[in-house]
Amino acid sequence: MLPALVRKTWRDDRRAVLGWAVGVAAFTTIYTSFYRQFQGAAELKQEALPQGMLDFLGIADMFSPAGYLQATIFSLVGPLLVLMCAITLTARTIARPEEDGGMELLLANPLSRTAFAGQRLAATGTAVTVVAAIPLLLLFVVVPRVGMDIPLSNVAAAGVGLIALVWCFTGIAFLAGAVSGRRSSVLAVTGALAVAAYMANAISGMSEGWHWVRWLSPFHYFIGTDPLHTGWHPVELLILVAVGAATALAGVWAFDRRDVGV
Amino acid sequence: MTSDYAVLTEDLTKFYGQRRGIESLTLRVGAGEVLGFLGPNGAGKTTTIRLLLDFLRPTSGSATVLGLDPRRDKAALHRQIGYLPGELSFPGRETAGDLLRFFGAARGGVAWSQVTALAERLDLDLSRPVRTMSKGNKQKVGLVQAFMHRPALLILDEPTSGLDPLMQQEFLAMVRDARDAGQTVFMSSHVLAEVQHTADRVAIIRDGRLAAVERVESLGKRAIRSVEIHFNDPVDPAEFDVLPGVSEVTVSGPVLRCTVSGRLDPLIKMAARHEVVDMLSAEPDLEETFLSFYYHSEGAGDASRAGA
Repeated sequence: MLPALVRKTWRDDRRAVLGWAVGVAAFTTIYTSFYRQFQGAAELKQEALPQGMLDFLGIADMFSPAGYLQATIFSLVGPLLVLMCAITLTARTIARPEEDGGMELLLANPLSRTAFAGQRLAATGTAVTVVAAIPLLLLFVVVPRVGMDIPLSNVAAAGVGLIALVWCFTGIAFLAGAVSGRRSSVLAVTGALAVAAYMANAISGMSEGWHWVRWLSPFHYFIGTDPLHTGWHPVELLILVAVGAATALAGVWAFDRRDVGV
Repeated sequence: MTSDYAVLTEDLTKFYGQRRGIESLTLRVGAGEVLGFLGPNGAGKTTTIRLLLDFLRPTSGSATVLGLDPRRDKAALHRQIGYLPGELSFPGRETAGDLLRFFGAARGGVAWSQVTALAERLDLDLSRPVRTMSKGNKQKVGLVQAFMHRPALLILDEPTSGLDPLMQQEFLAMVRDARDAGQTVFMSSHVLAEVQHTADRVAIIRDGRLAAVERVESLGKRAIRSVEIHFNDPVDPAEFDVLPGVSEVTVSGPVLRCTVSGRLDPLIKMAARHEVVDMLSAEPDLEETFLSFYYHSEGAGDASRAGA
């Protein structure tokens, strides 16, 4: 049987997880299901906007099925939704109970500090992964059905990339919470980093001089490789996972070494 | 041998930056003992408790709990501790029953009959969500989770806060039962009356330092009584002022009022020289004792500052 704390964490988070799952599922389904109807409008949109603007919005082209899918699901709103879900849920692992006082009774459980932090992270990490996997799972059904001509292997690469991106920021959010014990710090630090990373990736495409900054951006490793056209890029995905794992471990380490609930 | 002590601290010190938490606290609580840990709000009671539980790490000094190291052996140690926080806040939205099932499972399984017996004893409805409960009922949930796994050591921070007098009595009975079962109880309070009926010893902390450790009986011997004697004829206050232990003598006509610390004998002997109509002596109030010996005697300013 799973540890009691893991089950308790899921039970406490289930409403929020369900809400995010429904939201992400609705978003994915609605945008992709109306692929044919959007086609005409998309062409107009693309003609109306200058190329620089399209680059900034992360829209390569909206004529091709892959371009359409990238523009709608993987460029801005999709990552934004799943990242917000990941950051707010991760803020609940340590920061929220520490602020509202529930931490005392949670931490009084017979677990070492590291086991406590590890179980909280494992429970939330699983929930976040489930939400982040929803676009991938739905696209497997929707893409063939609406007649988008994209290899499912490429769809899988992009969908897995989204999960890897979420792991990366979940690790960062966990570290922020484990160190500070404050929800506002988790939201501010991780939110600011996510926005900066998105901007860095967007700006690097617009100007040659800024090309190098994309190497700093997790968004580059997620979507800059153009997985919907080019398929799998395991090294880039592993970099995202490695950043997430390293920050998560650093968070467990930091939580084991500080005063809690002062 | 450290294992003879349930709690052993040596020069335990905690500073939050420049702010004092506790300083050089050396305290021994014997296994099977009930210790009342007293002091005004802000004196460092909760800091001490959180150090024992490894929520805080000491600035210097050390603590040994049930012969174990609070940090290194946290998992093994917390299985044998029942903890009631001073500021109760429950994680989640479940009913009291579901929450207690979680605590039971997390501690490796607790017989459910144990939980229902405690709930019945405290008149607690387990089917209600904890969030919707009154402060008193939340306190009962807190007590049930602290006692439910029959821990070797109960660490209770302000255990009776929010309980009505009847439930306070029930709680004190639970503490006596725990002692009879060989459990150690470490309970903090800022009210002496709360612990005087159950505690074997009282440790008094003020401004982060241990002011005194006394057996409860010896605190009683030091009791201050207020005495009022009605004589047949007016008396001279100067006669009584000089008696050992007698102070604050006021005389209005034939009525003498004073406070007596320690034995009443000198006052009685002196009063017997006159014709006594009536005599009133208020019960020794340990609260008064407590305050006079440990706050007022070393400066009332300290006590008021610590209470801020």
